[in-house]
Amino acid sequence: MAELRQIAFYGKGGIGKSTTSQNTLAAMCHYYGKKILIVGCDPKADSTRLILHEKAQSTIMQLASEAGTVEDLELEDVCKPGAGEFHPDNTDITEGYINCTESGGPEPGVGCAGRGVITAINFLEEEGAYDDDLDFVSYDVLGDVVCGGFAMPIREGKAQEIYIVMSGEMMAMYAANNISKGILKYANTGGVRLAGLICNARMTDKEYDLAKHLAKQIGTQMIHFVPRSNHVQRAELRRMTVVEFAPNSDQAFEYRELARKIINNDLKVIPKPLEMDDLEALLMEFGLEEEVEEEAIGKKAEEA
Amino acid sequence: MFVCGYHFPASEGNDVSFDKVIEKVKDGVDPKGKVVTLTSETREGAKLEEISVPEGTFAHVAFVDYYENTEVQGDFRMVYYTNKYQISEISKSVDGEATKDLCRKLDDMNLYRVKVS
Repeated sequence: MAELRQIAFYGKGGIGKSTTSQNTLAAMCHYYGKKILIVGCDPKADSTRLILHEKAQSTIMQLASEAGTVEDLELEDVCKPGAGEFHPDNTDITEGYINCTESGGPEPGVGCAGRGVITAINFLEEEGAYDDDLDFVSYDVLGDVVCGGFAMPIREGKAQEIYIVMSGEMMAMYAANNISKGILKYANTGGVRLAGLICNARMTDKEYDLAKHLAKQIGTQMIHFVPRSNHVQRAELRRMTVVEFAPNSDQAFEYRELARKIINNDLKVIPKPLEMDDLEALLMEFGLEEEVEEEAIGKKAEEA
Repeated sequence: MFVCGYHFPASEGNDVSFDKVIEKVKDGVDPKGKVVTLTSETREGAKLEEISVPEGTFAHVAFVDYYENTEVQGDFRMVYYTNKYQISEISKSVDGEATKDLCRKLDDMNLYRVKVS
């Protein structure tokens, strides 16, 4: 039996991280028969809705609050089998399956968003959720702020290989670089490695070149360029992945190719994050930012 | 890492030379006499044009190789965006003027399909 691989998808909020991760994991299950546990670590709790065909899964933090404490919960309360072809009992299309859980977080404005992540992972481990049958555990983590809580999957050596979902937009690239810094911090103690950037394209000019160069400079690869497609939105409206909604579509094939690459990927590196000046230079080189004369900085349009 | 769909082991790092990619792409492919036709279309599916890929270029070999080895089926086979950008990047470097206009097109945001006959 193959060794369990613990992977994580990090990325800036709104970049399409949960959509990309669910579609890719669905492709790993649908086309390659992989057995997967998703641990959603985003307080939005939207990391599993397309696999479950639900609005949002009840989170471990919600259920613990209702039950009293997390110790009052059973694994079955928080870990749900995927719907349709992703259900463990449904082997019509694939021998693979996907189980889903969401950590959740505190109510807005109160407490630490990472607390749910820590509580959830500890609970799942203690309850035996990471069983021998699984091929992959996948964490879906917000990467705007790589605080101690959100770094939990990489801090404690849980997620061994990190995929950063990004695009050719400045803030997405900034977040990707920042997440690399978080990985670097724990690379030597926990063994976590950066496994690649996934460009969830916004279809902006020179986006492939920009993503590829950022990947090269921080020491990794741009593993796949996922084009924008209306199929993704159409599938999401039905709370489905593209792989289920339109398995013979071009977009489903793009996710299949990304799934194949992740399954076979062995390039896992300690990243070399860029300094802010170098990141800005990269953005200027590819035209995302225009070089500005030193004396123009801070001046209004009519003054400059 | 992965270039043109091929896996290069981690020991080769994150910057595999074009020579190594070309060697892998050419291996086992006989592109002689084959006609490679690309079609481009918008994201909405509107067909734009048909383009011939000149024989004797890396781009020609790479598209023959893609057509013959991809899991994508059909007469005209969708080319993964990643692959079209990578083929363009290498072709610009080794094919020069012969594929200059083709590469400019491949670098856009349109979807390409390939047919080999």
